[in-house]
Amino acid sequence: MSKIGDAIYEIHSMDALAARDQWVNRIHPLVKFILTVGYIVAVVSFQKYDVIGLAGMVIYPIAVFILSELSLKDSIKRLRVVLPIICFVGLLNPFFDKNMVLFAGAEISAGILSMITLILKGTFSVLASYLLIATTSVDKLCYAFRMLHIPGAVVTQFMLTYRYITVLLEEVNRMTQAYTLRAPGQKGIHFKVWGSLTGLLLLRSMDRANNVYESMLLRGYRGDYQYMRERIAVRPQDMMYLLFWMGVLVLFRLYPVMWIVGNLAGGMFT
Amino acid sequence: MHMADALVAPAVAGTLYVCSTAAAAFSVKQVRLDTDTKKVPVMGVMGAFVFAAQMINFTIPGTGSSGHLCGGMLLSALLGPYAGFLTMIGVLLIQCLLFADGGLLALGCNVWNMAFYGCFIGALWIWKPMMKNGMSKAKIIAASIIGCVVTLQLGAFSVTLETLASGITELPFAAFAAVMQPIHLAIGFTEGLITAAVLVFIYEARPELLFCSSQIERKEGRFSFKNTLVILAAAAVLIGGLLSLAASSYPDGLEWSIERLTGSTELEAAGGIYETADSIQEFTSLLPDYAFKNSESASGTVFSGIVGGLIVVAVCIGACYLFKFFRKNKAV
Amino acid sequence: MSHIHIDVENVSFGYEKEKEILSQISFHAAESDSIGLIGANGVGKSTLLKLLVGLHTDFEGSIRIADIPVQKSTLPQIRSKIGYVFQDSDSQLFMNTVYEDIAFAPRNYGLPESEVERRVEQALRLTGIEYLKDEQIYKMSGGEKKLVSIATILSMTPDIILMDEPSIALDPRNRRNLIHILNSFTHLKIIASHDLDLILDTCERTILMADGRIIRDGFTKEILTDKELLEKNGLELPFCLQKR
Repeated sequence: MSKIGDAIYEIHSMDALAARDQWVNRIHPLVKFILTVGYIVAVVSFQKYDVIGLAGMVIYPIAVFILSELSLKDSIKRLRVVLPIICFVGLLNPFFDKNMVLFAGAEISAGILSMITLILKGTFSVLASYLLIATTSVDKLCYAFRMLHIPGAVVTQFMLTYRYITVLLEEVNRMTQAYTLRAPGQKGIHFKVWGSLTGLLLLRSMDRANNVYESMLLRGYRGDYQYMRERIAVRPQDMMYLLFWMGVLVLFRLYPVMWIVGNLAGGMFT
Repeated sequence: MHMADALVAPAVAGTLYVCSTAAAAFSVKQVRLDTDTKKVPVMGVMGAFVFAAQMINFTIPGTGSSGHLCGGMLLSALLGPYAGFLTMIGVLLIQCLLFADGGLLALGCNVWNMAFYGCFIGALWIWKPMMKNGMSKAKIIAASIIGCVVTLQLGAFSVTLETLASGITELPFAAFAAVMQPIHLAIGFTEGLITAAVLVFIYEARPELLFCSSQIERKEGRFSFKNTLVILAAAAVLIGGLLSLAASSYPDGLEWSIERLTGSTELEAAGGIYETADSIQEFTSLLPDYAFKNSESASGTVFSGIVGGLIVVAVCIGACYLFKFFRKNKAV
Repeated sequence: MSHIHIDVENVSFGYEKEKEILSQISFHAAESDSIGLIGANGVGKSTLLKLLVGLHTDFEGSIRIADIPVQKSTLPQIRSKIGYVFQDSDSQLFMNTVYEDIAFAPRNYGLPESEVERRVEQALRLTGIEYLKDEQIYKMSGGEKKLVSIATILSMTPDIILMDEPSIALDPRNRRNLIHILNSFTHLKIIASHDLDLILDTCERTILMADGRIIRDGFTKEILTDKELLEKNGLELPFCLQKR
């Protein structure tokens, strides 16, 4: 099942990207997390016909892509999950919203505008999340979560889930491969073994959980574990990065900067 | 059923974040992670299990298509509502971060739609009452199917409401619901069958792993009915309140769809709202005519927008490269 | 602390009441002992190791580690002295990166971060895997994972090391490397394994178990060359002593 292979590959490549020693990767995880959420909120809050204002928000992904030296091509792949749903919802807008508006000298349906903003919103928010996770390892994100006062036990649970996803994916891969080798011509798992195949995986996972617990106990675990104590400090440049982008995003959110610049440029020529 | 960031308005996302966080905080308290240290690794590994099990293709007999597991109901039947809920949050967070399935902003919605119903309603209102007087294979099958169908219907309905309240789609409420509910009836039924198969297997192999398997009422569940009811009521009030707030500040959102619902003709409704939207636009925007207006300058507006866009992007790219250039020089 | 030893007296244990897995186990291990624990599948080797670190405390008889009885209240004290290497490295290594995993124990014992770092570096050096320091665990091979597992317990600076099937899933070179590391560790160690050649190379003393009992306790050289004894208890001579 290539789906599982894809998922494992995805985790591997994300980790490799996050582990690179880039300037953006070294910025404090909490700063990047706050910025990402802030950016997505700003993007999503645009009015549904405000194509030009929304288009201005493209600067954040552009800048971070350049600074972090990530490949735009790889990130586009991630849109495949989200875009179909958005398009399904968005494509219907032109049919239901038939108010005509003048845009670029031509009369077009307002629904088309709202469809464009919807697709832009979807693309921008996915890119922003990608830029976060491709420059920040999950461990560091967990550190940021701890700083946000999410209980340590919950963060530990999250980390363990992340740690064992690859282990269990590989286990599922082996099981389904062993199954398909003995059941040629079947696309999925026959309903007669739904319970036993998944159930066995579940029992093994439970046993594994038990072993993990014992291993944790033997190394002094008592329910609270501090991640990377005293290891990531917020440096002045982190604060500057945060403040700079906050300023830029607020500016672009409140004013149609692109339009203003365009007008000024037009004014210079005429 | 994962909602993307683009499909939710900030007000809706925020409201559901508050609700989901409240449910999570409540769960953390109920699970007592600090004292029952074993729960943490069990929840962690089971989260990974759900994630992996979601990847399995289950052939649906007679159709040639395949079904999948979502896992909320399965988890809560194993870990109970609270631990199951927290585990699902972990799974959803990883899906949104690493696989772009869902989104950071929509996480609150997704947790509510998929984890809350599956775990709280599924475990407390369906699983627990049904298993009260002892377990049996038939009861497990029935509870799994009913649980999955009901919780998925609730989830799908919430997706519909949240999307409409966000003012994202022009689709009328009835049409949206008419698409969402039947699809999720089929999905829910399939998931119910898979969940039932797995739980029956566990029941026969290691029944002690199942939630409520011991006859002794556990302390954590004693007032659970009331607790869920309180959470639900609080959430309803909160969602209602915030949505009305959102509706007043986003006139293009809820009101629009509500007016559609009440049956006023499209043009009239749209016209009225359009004017309000426009006046608000004029009020908030420095340049009231930039968005779009039936005026001759419209084409000029777009032109300035495009030219300005090109300039801004070019300046941005240039600045980034300059920044990098100077950083490198400094490093050398 | 100065005098590390293990005293096991008349220990019996079973997961279910009727079925005893261990019965009447008694042995004494001194500070510099290296003990190989051998026996066919399912004779209770792993269970015995788990009892020593108190993963099951409802046994009969008495176990004392450095004169401290193994019971619920003394577990933190006892576990800080013992390093336990699991058979399955993936269960042992539950953090995402090598550094974080090795740092887990020292951090739990409340050491300052500078000391944690020193411990981690030291453990990496002792196992010869400095180059893996910041690596993701799921990317590593079975051999690398095993070495990291050992490093995670070395960072606790244990007085006693217990190992469950350490050489399983190792290629010849990694196995050789493991033997070298085991021999460089001079404290008390108990290794449960089917790999009799490994026991021959690393342990002076051997305890042979069958059906939950200790059959023989003596010099490795004597037990592992006794073909009749080994075969009677479901084992065979080490490969290096078999004539072809």
